Parts: sequence; structure tokens; C-alpha cells
Amino acid sequence: MITLEHDRLVFRFPEVHKDARCAIEFQRTLRIPDDGLDYPLPPGMGRFPLRHLDDYARRLPTDWLRRGGVLMPMHQAEAMWINFDCGGYPFAVKVATGKVCALTGETWMNHLNTDPQDYAVLPEQPWLDGYCVAQGIVRQFVAMPLGQGYTVEEQLTDEAEHGGLQLIAYPMKAERYEEMISMSATDAPTDYGVAYGPIKSEPMGLAPGGRMRQEIYDDDYGLDAWDQRHASRCFVTIANSVQWMALTGERPPTEPPTASAYASAGLPWFDYFGGDLTATAETDKLRGISSVAEIGATNGESPLPENESAEVDRVISLRRPGSNQVREMSADVPSTS
Amino acid sequence: MTQFGTYVNTARRSLQEHDRRYSLRQVAKRIGVEPGYLSKIERGQVAPPSEAATVRLAKELDQDPDVLLALGGKVSSDLQEVIRKRPRLFAQLIRELRDAPDHAVLRIVREVRDGDW
Repeated sequence: MITLEHDRLVFRFPEVHKDARCAIEFQRTLRIPDDGLDYPLPPGMGRFPLRHLDDYARRLPTDWLRRGGVLMPMHQAEAMWINFDCGGYPFAVKVATGKVCALTGETWMNHLNTDPQDYAVLPEQPWLDGYCVAQGIVRQFVAMPLGQGYTVEEQLTDEAEHGGLQLIAYPMKAERYEEMISMSATDAPTDYGVAYGPIKSEPMGLAPGGRMRQEIYDDDYGLDAWDQRHASRCFVTIANSVQWMALTGERPPTEPPTASAYASAGLPWFDYFGGDLTATAETDKLRGISSVAEIGATNGESPLPENESAEVDRVISLRRPGSNQVREMSADVPSTS
Repeated sequence: MTQFGTYVNTARRSLQEHDRRYSLRQVAKRIGVEPGYLSKIERGQVAPPSEAATVRLAKELDQDPDVLLALGGKVSSDLQEVIRKRPRLFAQLIRELRDAPDHAVLRIVREVRDGDW
């Protein structure tokens, strides 16, 4: 089952194990420059709001409503990263945008694949910031309107049909988990404790932005560790700011500062080291995708405002698995508003 | 120490082990209170702070605001508003679920609906 708690999607599998719980949230962040350079990880600036799609059923296009799930606002060209928090219970999580896998570029499938590996392994993978375009390199998730050719969905399928973001989570098999915790002194998981008219049907999709250093880790547990009889999935429909206000009556969060303003203020960027874990290689499909800036240049457009390169002086190295707070910068950031 | 103070102190120190930004002084600054006041809160020498400060503290320490408010003997304003709108119904519901196991409570929690995609 999936519940929505404080703008987090909380996946629970009490039928598998009482500890089988995983929270996934979408962090606002600055858009790193799409200039061909490799940047460290940008900070988190708080969660994007999430709402049950069904709460706005009367105003939604039928194809949005049919998918179920949740609604999330993003400004055009805004960036985000995904934060995973499963306590100590391992999960395999697939992430797709426009029903195209962010790790392999393959079209959506409801099961796990290992060749190539199309899922992230938690808690080893604390975050996912973008599409795996090279070993140890991702291109940042950046919101763009469907229909203009920028999204990965359009680049790889020639269709602008789905948009949004899709997730499916599989818990580790209970017997494997029990075996694992009995063999180690691992900490147990903690207890977590008004425009209002119908809106047009063009949702946002996600497109590849600038490059940053992030490894997607190989599955050291093996495919057999995951309980594929039990899974929960969710479609996250991304509304632009106008659609969000029309539907919910709420203002979306303000846009984050530019990367260059953030870096100029001497605020920190981040690197993450997974120790002995090995990084998966990119696939041919994702190696071949073009970034938003590259497509814009080809089309004679400037889709990314304020895309100046940033001088990064301050990088904090993180080594702690499952950390989700230390990458956040809730204070002392320059504002655009 | 109070339960609230112990909980906050443990959560903050756990973060501080990996990140110096979670020193008492820096956390106090980010949530808008004096370091001395936060120190007294952690040692249980003063009552838990206001709802707004508790929520800021929960967010800062990546804790559930409702859990921290409950430890401080408070219920969030939005929950109070929910109960005030239908007091009889929610009072009855909460009393009936008082001793129910977690899995039974979860059965009535609203799920995110998965559709056709």
C-alpha cells in the first residue's frame, strides 16, 4: 500500500514484513548548468508538494484521472531529485519518466530486470538525480512541457503520450531480510512513527539537463532477493504552475536560485561515496540522448534561462547511506523572489 | 531530561556525528531560537517550544512533525481543525481505534490509488 504523508509517498508491505517500509520524496533543487561540464550534487531545498489526484477529479482531463496516483507542481525548466528513505529494510525501486526507465532507457515493465539492471537498490542508493548517461554520470531531471521534443520519452519513443514520473517498489523477501539482520548488527529500521475550471491536458514531462557525478549501484543482493509477488506502483503527474494553481488553489513553491548565484554565495555542493559498491554502466539508449540545451541549440531556441556555468568551490563529501537530511539546504540560500 | 528533550537531543546528535551543521548553535539559528533555549529544551529544563518552532525543529532534524508535537503534548493545528469540523465523528473514530493494532489502523488510512497506465 502507498500512503501520502507530509508530501512523501510511503510504501508499506505489512503482508511481507513489519519493517518493510520505504518513503520516497521529490526534492526541489537548483538546476545545474547544462554546459557539458560535470558538476557535484546540488542541494535539496525542501520537498515538492504532493496531492492525491482524485481530490481534483472534476477538473482533471480523463487521461490524467485514469492513471491515478498523485499530482506534483514544477515550473518549466525546474529541476528535482528523488530521495529514498527505507530505514534498514532493502528495496528495489524502478524509476521511469514518460514510462521510459531512467536507468536503462527501456520502456516501462512491471518487473525487475538485471541485464541491464533497471532498478535502484536501497538503502545503498540514497538519491537519484537524473538519467544514467555514463558510468558514474547522470543528467539532471528537468521539467519540460510535453510536445516540444525535449523529454526523454519523446527522444526515445517519438511519442508525447505519458509525461510525469512512474515508480514501483519491491521489498526484499522477508526470509532474506531476517537472515541478513540475524547475521549482522545492522540497526533496525526506525519507526516513523481557484480558477477552478477544467484544465488543459498537456502535462509536464522530464528531460535531461546538465551532467553531474552520481553512481547508480549494482545489485549486490541479486535478483532473487526481491519479493516480486508484492509491489506497489505510483504515477506522479507533473502539473505546471498554472495548472497547479487552477487545480489546487495553492501557489507552487518559488523557483530555486540559479546555480551560479548559489555557488557565488559559497554554499555547498555534495559528493557521495558508496565505498566498495560498484557503479552500473550506462546503456546505449541513454548514452545517446541529448540534453535540453543541446536540443535547444539545434532548434534555435533557448529553453533554459540563466544557464551560466558555475564556479563550484565548496563540496561536502558524504559517506553515510540513507542520509536524506544532510543534502538539504533549508536556510541561507539566495532567493529568486 | 523529558522524553521530548531526549528525543530531540538524540536525533540532533545522530545527525551531528556526520555533519557539523547539526551543532546545537547552528540548529538553533536555523529554527530561529537562541542556542541557550534549545539547550534547555534538550535537557528538559523548559517546556517544549511552540507548535511552529516544534514543526521547524522536526523539519530540521528530518523527524515527523506529528510525532514531535505529540511528544511535546501538542496536536497540530490542522488536525485540531479537522476534528473541530466533525467533532463527534472523529472523536468516536479515534476512541474506537485507540487500542487497535497498527495494521488495523492502516487498513482505514487513505491509499494512493493506482490506475491504468
